[in-house]
Amino acid sequence: MTPNPVLEITDLDKSFGALTATKNVSFRVLPGEIHALIGPNGAGKTTLVQQIYGALAPDRGHIHLMGRDITALSIPERVRAGIGRSFQISNVLMDFTILENAIIAEQARRGDSFRFVYPAFSDASLIAGAYHILERVGLADQADRPVQDLAHGDRRMLELALALATAPSVLLLDEPMAGTGPQDSRRMADIIDQLRGQVAILLIEHDMDVVFRLADRISVLVEGAIIATGTAEEISGNDAVKAAYLGGEG
Amino acid sequence: MLGYLVDLMRLSRDGIRDNRLLWLLIAGFALFPIFTHFADLPFWNDVAMRIMLLGMAAMGLNLVLGYGGMVSFGHAAFIGIGAYCVGISQFYGITNGWAHLLFSLVACGAAGLVIGYLALRTSGIYFIMITLAFAQMLFFLFVSLETYGGDDGMSIDRAAFGVVDLYDPLRLYFLTWICLALVGLALMFIVRSRFGVTLRAIKSNESRVEAMGLVPLRFKITGYVISAVICGLAGALFASWQEYVSPDIMHWTRSGELMIIIILGGLATLAGPLLGAIVFLLLEEMLPWLLGVVAPAYAENWMILFGPILIMVVMFGRGGLVGLLDRWWAADKAGRSVR
Amino acid sequence: MTMTLILEQTFNGLQAGVTLFLVAAGLTLILGIMDFVFLAHGAQVMIGAYAAAAITGATGNFYLGLLLAIPVTFASGYLLEFLIIRHLYQRDHMEQVLATFGLILFFNEVIRIGFGPAALYSDLPPSLSGFVEILPDTPYPAYRLAVILAGLVLALAIHLFVSRTRVGAMVRAGANNPMMTAALGINIKILFRLIFATGACFAGVAGMLLGPLTSVQPGMGEPLLILSLVVIIIGGIGSVRGAFIAAIIVGLVDTLGRVFLPALLRLVIDQAAADGAGPALASMLVYILMALVLIFRPTGLFPAKGS
Repeated sequence: MTPNPVLEITDLDKSFGALTATKNVSFRVLPGEIHALIGPNGAGKTTLVQQIYGALAPDRGHIHLMGRDITALSIPERVRAGIGRSFQISNVLMDFTILENAIIAEQARRGDSFRFVYPAFSDASLIAGAYHILERVGLADQADRPVQDLAHGDRRMLELALALATAPSVLLLDEPMAGTGPQDSRRMADIIDQLRGQVAILLIEHDMDVVFRLADRISVLVEGAIIATGTAEEISGNDAVKAAYLGGEG
Repeated sequence: MLGYLVDLMRLSRDGIRDNRLLWLLIAGFALFPIFTHFADLPFWNDVAMRIMLLGMAAMGLNLVLGYGGMVSFGHAAFIGIGAYCVGISQFYGITNGWAHLLFSLVACGAAGLVIGYLALRTSGIYFIMITLAFAQMLFFLFVSLETYGGDDGMSIDRAAFGVVDLYDPLRLYFLTWICLALVGLALMFIVRSRFGVTLRAIKSNESRVEAMGLVPLRFKITGYVISAVICGLAGALFASWQEYVSPDIMHWTRSGELMIIIILGGLATLAGPLLGAIVFLLLEEMLPWLLGVVAPAYAENWMILFGPILIMVVMFGRGGLVGLLDRWWAADKAGRSVR
Repeated sequence: MTMTLILEQTFNGLQAGVTLFLVAAGLTLILGIMDFVFLAHGAQVMIGAYAAAAITGATGNFYLGLLLAIPVTFASGYLLEFLIIRHLYQRDHMEQVLATFGLILFFNEVIRIGFGPAALYSDLPPSLSGFVEILPDTPYPAYRLAVILAGLVLALAIHLFVSRTRVGAMVRAGANNPMMTAALGINIKILFRLIFATGACFAGVAGMLLGPLTSVQPGMGEPLLILSLVVIIIGGIGSVRGAFIAAIIVGLVDTLGRVFLPALLRLVIDQAAADGAGPALASMLVYILMALVLIFRPTGLFPAKGS
């Protein structure tokens, strides 16, 4: 039978005054799967992600991670519980180098940041862990470059790397390829493809080619509600989806 | 244990090498009294003392302001609390200087914790205003405490520091110097440590640090408490030296002075606050003199030059004096601290 | 603890409140709309007070002094924004703090050079130097009453302007969402300059009204500045309505607190302790109030910004 879900959203509701952004949303992300969340612009995808991440509190409903109710937890608590997130607009540490970003992420994951004596950036074990993080996205050879000097595509890679660095059970990827050129896009798709089976992924994406290539299952969000969940075949054959969301680019 | 001490020594040696400007300045202060002795300018020891204390407080503030990105406009309050701890303990018959220091550090730590906790839940303009308001609150508190001198302040006898007899002015100078060196050493370690790096990361991008699973507030409050304690130390030494304390020491314009010093010397650098203190106090001595020469009728109004100078520094100065020196000397000679 | 005393002090509190409001109104808009930490707002108070005192001294007529000083303060705010402030909007807050701090030093010194460091003599206008019976057997200084009325009228005018006029709507939009307001094509630069100048004007009026009541001297605006910051924290940044209510509250709490808290304390603890702690606690009262608001409503009582 279906294994226990890594992430389970139950009856989530969120309104801003008269605007209902999330309408009775329920779905689940299964272990190791890449689950895409698609929908027209303004459907409420980012609002939904914000609620899963903890930046927004839902009006009603629950979020369960590995069976544990995390609806009331703060962002850092959820991250430590296993939620990783990459942001739609790159949210990296601009005043540091790539390696330093990774070192801080590694240090944060290990949970002992309240040390006052030994220099963090010279810590051999932190550095080793940091390189490991960077190798996953192919940035290890640029480790000493300041993030300020990075091209957009590389910054998105770093964004992904930092999300992975928290060793999450489920990864929220919010339009990871936003603004990247075709080459970087393909590179990132390859990396995400390789993550299948290792970590559950909720992928928000507009590019249908990417979605159909990567997604094991797809949920369609229209005007705040999920109108269909299924495999790529099921979704592309679904009349309601076709009607509401006329296929193609978002 | 021994391994740890060996590590500390090695890290200190490396740190001093990486922060040459800071330690050059600190060494300079140690040698300065020799110079004034032979040049027969003992008055300048007082100036150096003032610079060391101001520099120490500025270094404390720089931890949260420069490295942590928290624009706290109320740090003079901690200097004041430190100073008044000395005065008040003396008032109640406690004459041991070490006890005074202990009270100052504990009181400032506690005050830093309370004010930090209340203020750091806000950010941006709110945070600036709230720290300013709390500092004013403490100012008014001490003004209205008539028992401890109120507006006029109270005089303090020089404390007994046990081993060190402080009636010799040079001994207090060297005690202050030791404290300055210790503060410099501590900050040098802190800013490169995991804690310090996290604090700097929070300044750079707080939501990213959250996304890494850390709670920024804990780090900010910790940094705030450390900076409060350092300022308290400066205040306590200042009160012992001046043998006097009054609420003016914690007037909000004093906090402004600390910020001026930091931005003058260079934000987020270890040597910046000390360098800034030197320049600031020298300016304070020189501007009246300069105006006296150029426009004697307005010699008293030298402050009028200070405002525009400050505005110029803000609008056109990038990185303060340390930044300037960096650009002149290229390489890594100018004591740029943190990598 | 007579009725007269309570009434008199309540009116004093109202008077302190409305003058505080005049200072805080401009500042809350500058903080909220321009996100600019304008520490030198107290200097505007001082400029207003000195302008009015100087003109009154020259013409012998208090009302003429008021009337002519108003354009002076408006102009000073306008020029200041045009020459210096507008270059600093993009800077981070600490730089704004330091630059405006430099402005305070500069203005205080200019006044000192121009008028001397001692307090300036500013007299009550003869027509208002008497007493009015607000209740039978309760005389109250006519001038203070006039200040309260003037302040309330101005507050009403500001309220009507902000809520009923198009420009007022732009101001409210700017307070609620500055970026969106600019995106709507409203000339932000001119709007900012006018808000700044108007805020300066109100602060100047506060200074003019306070002149005969307190001492007109360099640095007189700074205590008001800090108290306005407390008012704005309590009321909410960017909210003129919040500033009004908070200013009245702060004015009343501060005035009544100073007068009655020591006496109230004496009921609870012994005389010596009350006399020692009373004044101290009274002086901290508004800040304690601010701290409480911070704990329970960090964005103030009437926040202007949408969620």
